[in-house]
Amino acid sequence: MVEPTASLSTLNRADGSASYKCPATGYDVLGSVNAPIELPARRDALKPEDATIEVFVKPGNTTAGVGERYVEGILRSVLTEVVLGRERGYPRRGVVITLAIVGGGSVERGDSYLTVLPALLHTSLLALLSASVPLAMTFSSALLGVTKSGDIVRDPSAADAKAASSLHVLAFSSKGHLLLNESEGCFDFDTWELIRERAVSICRGAAVSGTGEDVAMGERSNDARLDGFVRETVEDRLHVDYAWKIESN
Amino acid sequence: MATPAANAAPSVSPSLSLPPSQFARLQPHAYLLAHLSPPPASNQPSIRANGRAPSQFRVTSANAGSLTHTNGSAVVRIGDTTAVCGVRAEILHTDDIASWSVSSSSTSNSNKRRRLGEKTTDEDEGQDENEEDRAHIEDLNLLVPNLSLSTGCAPGFTPGAPPSALAQSLSHQILSLLHSTRLIRADDLRIWYQPPNLGSEALERHNESQQMEIDAGQGSEESDPQEIKAFWVLYIDVMIISLAGNPFDAAWAAVLAALRDTKLPKAWWDIDNETIICSDDISEASRLSLRGLPVASSFCVFEADAAAGWRAVVIPDVNDQKAQNQRKKGPQQKWILADPDGYEEGLSQERATLVVDKAKNGKNVILKMEKHGGWSVDTEDLRQLVEISGQRWDEMKRILDQC
Repeated sequence: MVEPTASLSTLNRADGSASYKCPATGYDVLGSVNAPIELPARRDALKPEDATIEVFVKPGNTTAGVGERYVEGILRSVLTEVVLGRERGYPRRGVVITLAIVGGGSVERGDSYLTVLPALLHTSLLALLSASVPLAMTFSSALLGVTKSGDIVRDPSAADAKAASSLHVLAFSSKGHLLLNESEGCFDFDTWELIRERAVSICRGAAVSGTGEDVAMGERSNDARLDGFVRETVEDRLHVDYAWKIESN
Repeated sequence: MATPAANAAPSVSPSLSLPPSQFARLQPHAYLLAHLSPPPASNQPSIRANGRAPSQFRVTSANAGSLTHTNGSAVVRIGDTTAVCGVRAEILHTDDIASWSVSSSSTSNSNKRRRLGEKTTDEDEGQDENEEDRAHIEDLNLLVPNLSLSTGCAPGFTPGAPPSALAQSLSHQILSLLHSTRLIRADDLRIWYQPPNLGSEALERHNESQQMEIDAGQGSEESDPQEIKAFWVLYIDVMIISLAGNPFDAAWAAVLAALRDTKLPKAWWDIDNETIICSDDISEASRLSLRGLPVASSFCVFEADAAAGWRAVVIPDVNDQKAQNQRKKGPQQKWILADPDGYEEGLSQERATLVVDKAKNGKNVILKMEKHGGWSVDTEDLRQLVEISGQRWDEMKRILDQC
């Protein structure tokens, strides 16, 4: 299994940015976050005590259509739960996340958007971290497909995803909650439970009993974990940014 | 609206007396919470502000064939949410499909062979037919659903405004559900040409001009090569004329009812006029044969802790939370409300939508399951929701069969 690659703060003018590449599905996503910014039209927003989160998804080779509106809605509802929009300086302001799908196959009209969703989720999380937006938790997300013969495949390619009998995207918070589930295709609940188990082990490692930080640290040798991947990406970036300080010690 | 439970809410001091409707507007969260968790002394059942039990759906009615100028139409009303759906069929000539001659040769070839055999039924549909359906319906975009909310259906939506993000994402959901459930068979949408059997000489001449590649692949195996001359394109337009929460269920039910009502006229290729001719005899028109009956049910999660959003929450670890819940049998913390109305939707973040169908043995088959916007719903809740959706399927089947 080829692990995804990511880098933080790749854009100079945005408050935070990240680029994320998933070799298995081939998607390459560039994300930028501007926060907090003034949204003049949102003075009388529905929730004046909270920040407004806006997500824009730009496909690589066409203009955004109805599929992008749909995935933007999902991302917004997930990220609204994750971003602490009531921290100082955030209420009544906007957190604007722009995600451009730079590489990988295009999603045609009416196609399922699930294959891109994990890449979009990870990019937006990394970009939010890069912009130092206060977050309640981090998360990690996995794409799983069930083939006609009943095997569970991780990160199916676009062609495999079309042939799969069902597709699932699950996201788990750093505390182990199921944040997002998107399943489509034909399946029963027992299959879904197997999928969930598999997704937990991909996102959070096989042993989920870890309640304390020590256990989590111990598990980090198991490098297949996706939440470990997010953490390491951020650690690497911090190491580069604070090189001057680390050197002087 | 006027229920005594409103007075039982803790935040109302006895000196003030507000009518329940005003209280509902001022303190919506406390109002709904007071209904759902009445004080134990009052001996009242936990009930939603709109008088329904948590897993109860609104009264649903459906009426098919409401519009006369469409091929199929339906009006579905779920509580105060009303969706009108019209299906209009238009002809797409294969001459107008840019990629047709290249891509079709192989697919229409295999179609033809199947066509010559028995008509496929539910039981014997094969793997390659699925692929073919996808090739035709998805690649040629034979289904064009559109949903409009700009009808003045709710105060937030200006009439005549461009489609809102909600309308666009609902359109996408309907389209992707039509594709992923493979509800419509491509076979119903094909318009064929059956050349008359004039003997081998005439046949050969005809083949030379029109079906070179196919013929080359096929040799001299058969006598009547059928070919696809056109497709029906279905324009499925949904108007939400009144919106009181849960537009997706209503829109999908309307699409389903309209498709069940859709009749396509008998159409054939007329070789003399070189055009498609449709019969205007209604007895020759045929209905679509749909695959299954996928029924959508939506839910929202109402959380008891209104203040949760106000402070920087320390979110408990999922295992701690479970242990805590087991230790103290405290008051219920969350309610999963089926078929939320507009008022309840405004008070909840977390949503779940299920689309289920039932197999012949009565087992639930999940066709779509999504949940987002929160972290409280997990395996056990979802299992219950599948059960509830199964019951809803029975109810919807009865309603749709009657209309």
